[in-house]
Amino acid sequence: MLKANDVTKNFNSHIALNNVSLSVTEGQIYCLLGANGAGKTTLINHFLGFLKPTSGEVLVNGKNVMNYPLETKRDIAYIPENVMLYGVLTGLENLEYFSALATGRKKPKDLLMKLLTDVGLRPEDAVRRVSTYSKGMRQKVGIAIAMAKNAKALLLDEPTSGLDPKAANEFSLLLKKAAENGVAVFTTTHDLFHAKETGSRIGIMRSGSMLAEFSSDDVSHTDMETIYLKNMRD
Amino acid sequence: MTWLIVSREIREFYRDGRFLFGAGLIVVLFVTAFLVGFEQRKNVFSEREVAQQLDYDDWVNQPERHPHDAAHQGMHVFKPIPPLSFVDPGITNYVGSTQWLQAHRQTEVKFRPAQDATGLQRFGSLTPAWIIQMLGPLLIIVLGFNSFSGEREQGTLRQLISLGVPSWKLLVGKALALFLGALLLLAPLLMLAFWIAFGDVQAGDRYDVLIRLGLLVLGYLVYLGIYIFMVLTVSVLTPASRISLVVLLAVWIAGTILAPRVLVDVARMVYPTPNQVEFNAQLNQELRKEYTKAWKEHFGVEDRWGTDVPLSRWGEALQVDDQAGYNAIDRHFGALWNRYDDQQRLQEFFGFVFPMLSVRSYSMAITATDFSHHRDFAVSAEQHRRLMQNLISSELVEHADGQGEHHFDYKVSKAFWSRIPPFEYAAPSVLFALQRSLNSFAIMCATLLFSFVFALLSSRKLV
Repeated sequence: MLKANDVTKNFNSHIALNNVSLSVTEGQIYCLLGANGAGKTTLINHFLGFLKPTSGEVLVNGKNVMNYPLETKRDIAYIPENVMLYGVLTGLENLEYFSALATGRKKPKDLLMKLLTDVGLRPEDAVRRVSTYSKGMRQKVGIAIAMAKNAKALLLDEPTSGLDPKAANEFSLLLKKAAENGVAVFTTTHDLFHAKETGSRIGIMRSGSMLAEFSSDDVSHTDMETIYLKNMRD
Repeated sequence: MTWLIVSREIREFYRDGRFLFGAGLIVVLFVTAFLVGFEQRKNVFSEREVAQQLDYDDWVNQPERHPHDAAHQGMHVFKPIPPLSFVDPGITNYVGSTQWLQAHRQTEVKFRPAQDATGLQRFGSLTPAWIIQMLGPLLIIVLGFNSFSGEREQGTLRQLISLGVPSWKLLVGKALALFLGALLLLAPLLMLAFWIAFGDVQAGDRYDVLIRLGLLVLGYLVYLGIYIFMVLTVSVLTPASRISLVVLLAVWIAGTILAPRVLVDVARMVYPTPNQVEFNAQLNQELRKEYTKAWKEHFGVEDRWGTDVPLSRWGEALQVDDQAGYNAIDRHFGALWNRYDDQQRLQEFFGFVFPMLSVRSYSMAITATDFSHHRDFAVSAEQHRRLMQNLISSELVEHADGQGEHHFDYKVSKAFWSRIPPFEYAAPSVLFALQRSLNSFAIMCATLLFSFVFALLSSRKLV
C-alpha cells in the first residue's frame, strides 16, 4: 500500500534521505524510529506529496505520488504530531468539515458524533469550540477525521508525543483496530516501547538512511533497545 | 466541496467578530453617507430648479428695451443634478454649476462648491462611492489577509492539502466567501439606494436609473473582485499573517491614497493644460484674428465697431462678429476639453496597477458626474446661448438696422422675450455613459482576469 523505492532527497548539499526503501502492506503497522533530524518527517512529506524526491519514487496504492497527487491523497489519512483544527469551530464541526472535504459529501451528524465518542471524546466536549481543547482531545478529533475518511493507509507523525500514558495507550489500541480492518499504518515515533507494543514492523533511521528493519515479533524489548542504541551510536 | 469551504470561511468571519465589526462600521458610514448625500442632492436640486425658473421669469418679464442690452444681461442656466449623484458626486464639486449665457463669449461654468470647501473636505467627502472605493478594499483586507497565511501558521493548511483538496478549489472557495461577505454587506445598502433613487426619480427616468444602478453594482463587484484575488495572492505568497497584513496595507495606501493623487499630477505633466489666464489670452488672440478677418471680408474694415460701419448695419455686424467667433471658441474649448479627456484616459490606464483609478472613472461615468457629462452640459448651454444670440441679432437686422442712426432707439416688446425658449437640458442616456465607461470597465475586467490567473498560479505553491 505504501512504498518508497530508493528515495533520496537533497536540500542543497544536505542529504535528508539517502536511498531509503520501505514497504507497508495492508493490515501492517510500521513504526519508524529515529532521533530528531533522522528524516522521518521528510519521508512522510514525500508520501503526502509535499516534497518531491531528488531520486527514487514514492508509491501509494501502486501510484506514484508525484504523478497522481490528488488520487494518492484520497487513499491516505494524515495525523501530525499536533493535529491542527479550526479554533472557532467545535470538534464536531471540524470533523464535519474535514470529513466532507475528504470524502466529497457530508456525513450525518449522529454518525460523526459516534465517531468522536468512539475515539474517546465526550459528547459535551464534541460541541465545544476546539480552542478550549487539550492536545489529546485534538489528536482524538484527528483520528476521527482519519476514520471518517475510510482511508486505506494512515500516516502518523509522532502522534503520541505529548500524550499522557492512558491517552497514548488508547491511541495505540485505535491503530491496532484500524490495522485489523486492513488499513496500512505508517507511524514515526521516538518511543521504543510504543513501537514494540504497537508495530508489526519496525525501521530505524539515522541521518537520512535506513539502518535496520525487522519484525517486532523477532525481538524482545531489551533486544530492541540494544539495537536502537547501537545504531544511534555508530 | 467549494461551498463547504465557503460556508466554513463565512462562519469563521462571523464567529471571530471581524465581519461584524468591519461591516458594522461600514454600514453606519454608508447609511450616513446615503442619507446626507440624498438630502443634499434634494436641496440643491430644488434650489437649482427654482433658480432656473426665477432667472427665466426675469428674462421674460424684462421691460421694453434694446435686445442687445438684454443679451448682455444674458440668462443663467443651471446644471441639473443627476439622480445618482448622491452615490458618487464625481467632479460635481470641482466644476461649476451655473453657466452665464451672455453676448459675444462662451463663459466657463461658474460656482464650484469646492471653492467654499475647507482643506479637510478636499481630502475626501463621505459619499457611498468613496466608502466602497476606499473602505471596501480595506474590509476585504481585514477579512482575507490571513486566508492562507493564517491557515499555514495554524497548520490547518497542511491538513487540508493532505486530504486531497485541490489548491484551486481552496482559492475559489475562499474568494467566494470574501465575495459573499462583500455582497452581504452591499445588499442592504443597495436596496437603500434603490429605494432612495426611486422615491425621487421621475417615472420616465426610472429604467435609466435602474440600469445605471445595475451597472454600478457590476463595476464595484469587479473592483472588489480584483482586491479579493490580490489579497488571496499576497496571503498565499507571504510566510506569516503579520507580513501579509503589512504588505496589503501598503498596497492599499499606495492604491487608494497615493496613486489617485500622484497620477493626477502625472497626467497634468504628460498632458499640460493652460491655466485660466493663459486660456483666455490664447482664446482672445485667436478671436481677434477671426474677427478682423470677418470684418474685413464683410465690411472691408479692420477696426471692429468703428465708425466706418454705419449703425444701419449694426445688427448685421453683430451677426458676422458672433458667427466669426463660434469656430474659434469651439476649437479652443474643444482642445482644452480633449486634453482633460487625455488626462482622464491616462489615469484610467493606470487602473491596471491601481484599480481605484479605473473604478473611480467608471463610477463617475455611470452616475453621470464625470467630465464627459459636464462637457455635454456645457456644449448644450453654449448651443442655447447661440440660439439666443442668433434670434436677437436677426431681430436687430430685421427691425433695428432699418432705423439707421436711430438703431439704438429700437426697443422690442415684452412678447419678444418669450421667443427665446427656456433652457431645457436633456441629460444623456445610459448609452452615453456606457460608451464613456467602456474603457475603464475593460481595464477592470482585464485586471480581474489577471489577478485571478496570478492567484491561481500562486496557489499551486501552497504548503
